[in-house]
Amino acid sequence: MSRKPYQPPMPASWWLKHPAYRFYMLREATVVPLLFFVASLLYGLYALGQGEASWLHYLAWLQQPWVIALNSLALVASLFHAWTFFALFPQVMPLRFGSRTLPAWLMVSAQWAGVLLVILALWWLLGGVDAHQ
Amino acid sequence: MRTNKQDTPQTTPRRSDEPIWWSLFSAGGVCVAMLVPAIALLVLLGIPLGLVSAEQLNYQRLQALVFHPLGLGVVLGAMVLPLFHAMHRIHHGLHDLKLAHGRLAKWLCYGSAVLLSSLALWLWLTVSMASG
Amino acid sequence: MPTLEMRLQRYRPEQDSAPHWQDFRVEYDDSTSVLDALEQIKAEQDSSLSYRWSCRMAICGSCGIMVNGVPKLGCKTFLRDYPKGLQLAPLGNFPVEKDLIVDMSRFLEHLTAIKPYLIAEAAPQGQPHRQTPAQLARYKQFSNCINCGLCYAACPQFGLKPDFLGPAAIALAHRYNLDSRDSGKAERMAQLNSDNGVWGCTFVGYCSTVCPKGVDPAAAVNQGKIASTLDGVIQWFKPAKEPRNKEQSK
Repeated sequence: MSRKPYQPPMPASWWLKHPAYRFYMLREATVVPLLFFVASLLYGLYALGQGEASWLHYLAWLQQPWVIALNSLALVASLFHAWTFFALFPQVMPLRFGSRTLPAWLMVSAQWAGVLLVILALWWLLGGVDAHQ
Repeated sequence: MRTNKQDTPQTTPRRSDEPIWWSLFSAGGVCVAMLVPAIALLVLLGIPLGLVSAEQLNYQRLQALVFHPLGLGVVLGAMVLPLFHAMHRIHHGLHDLKLAHGRLAKWLCYGSAVLLSSLALWLWLTVSMASG
Repeated sequence: MPTLEMRLQRYRPEQDSAPHWQDFRVEYDDSTSVLDALEQIKAEQDSSLSYRWSCRMAICGSCGIMVNGVPKLGCKTFLRDYPKGLQLAPLGNFPVEKDLIVDMSRFLEHLTAIKPYLIAEAAPQGQPHRQTPAQLARYKQFSNCINCGLCYAACPQFGLKPDFLGPAAIALAHRYNLDSRDSGKAERMAQLNSDNGVWGCTFVGYCSTVCPKGVDPAAAVNQGKIASTLDGVIQWFKPAKEPRNKEQSK
């Protein structure tokens, strides 16, 4: 008996079909605003190297509405990325002690604590303590 | 011995170079999650959000912070590795969306990450060397 | 008895060039599984319907099917959970042989390639291989796979590139690599190290969501990425001894 298997097509829009795939694509898309973030830093690094006038010009550029909008998007995207990335960590690198594994929630919380710590450290480096005395 | 080549007729596949790109992607992913929120919040959006004053972001302080030898860590952690992270996802995204796969897309993606990273390192080095 | 609308994908290779939908109405109660409903249709309404099944208790892995677009085991899915009716289609990403039956040979080839069995020297004098609970815990979770193929239907990378070894095969390779009694890791790594091995995965993670046995293949594949990276680093620093793969490469 001859066979005639039907191969279902895989259209480029496959990821629209299920929430899990849309979530995946959203996660992958977080790198687009990230590229704008890196471009902002590159511009800042260039301005900082050029001198004080150029730096002041950069600070003014940062306050343009469209730049604020895109950097806000980058911030939200980085937090969303962090949320997904932290959850993957216990799956990819489970920390084992004998026959037990460190609970996932503990590893995720520790990573969020790290984010908070970095924010506080940067705030301190920028003279946040002095400025608010 | 049960291991011999007769029961595996298929040839040994080529080792992928993906470990290099995946390692950079993963390191970048950690940096994006850990460093980007802080920098976006306090530096890029600090003044509009009222979290820091323009005085706190003054030229002298930033110059001293960024071009300090430890500032290289910021260039690597907030720019170089995130670039490799981003271009890795874009490379795979092009395959996912059936837009492009193969050598050219790969060269363009990782090539641009290398190029922009070099630019960031060059910007940092020229000033650091001059002031240091 | 209440009844429910069911829409089935039909494909008769002798007559059809593409699949089409056919509607049925079945009687059901709280204990009616999707598999029970299919049996009811075949017995009472259309004896030409084809589907695959065996154990009816979620252990043989034969009755994988798409229920409203989601990969499920027909025996473990109940009509009571779908009051608005349901659509049944053959498992995604595989060629359809007939009606709800797919050709899984691709998955089985991948499974064979990674040697999913213990490769070990016999224990001395007929003694059993001993293993501590901690050694067992390292791989136990990954040993629950029943080869049903739901994870392949969930994996877009397998759909995009059928040469990708895929979730279950890699999870099983990882399961034996982690087994303290096994010494066949070197034979499996060549497959895992390739573009179609662990590196074909982008951690969509949906394979783990649909797994009916809680195996978490996504974790196995991505732990495999670390293993493959380390394997590459070791290979890099190891002095080239014998050109082992010379005649095989390329």
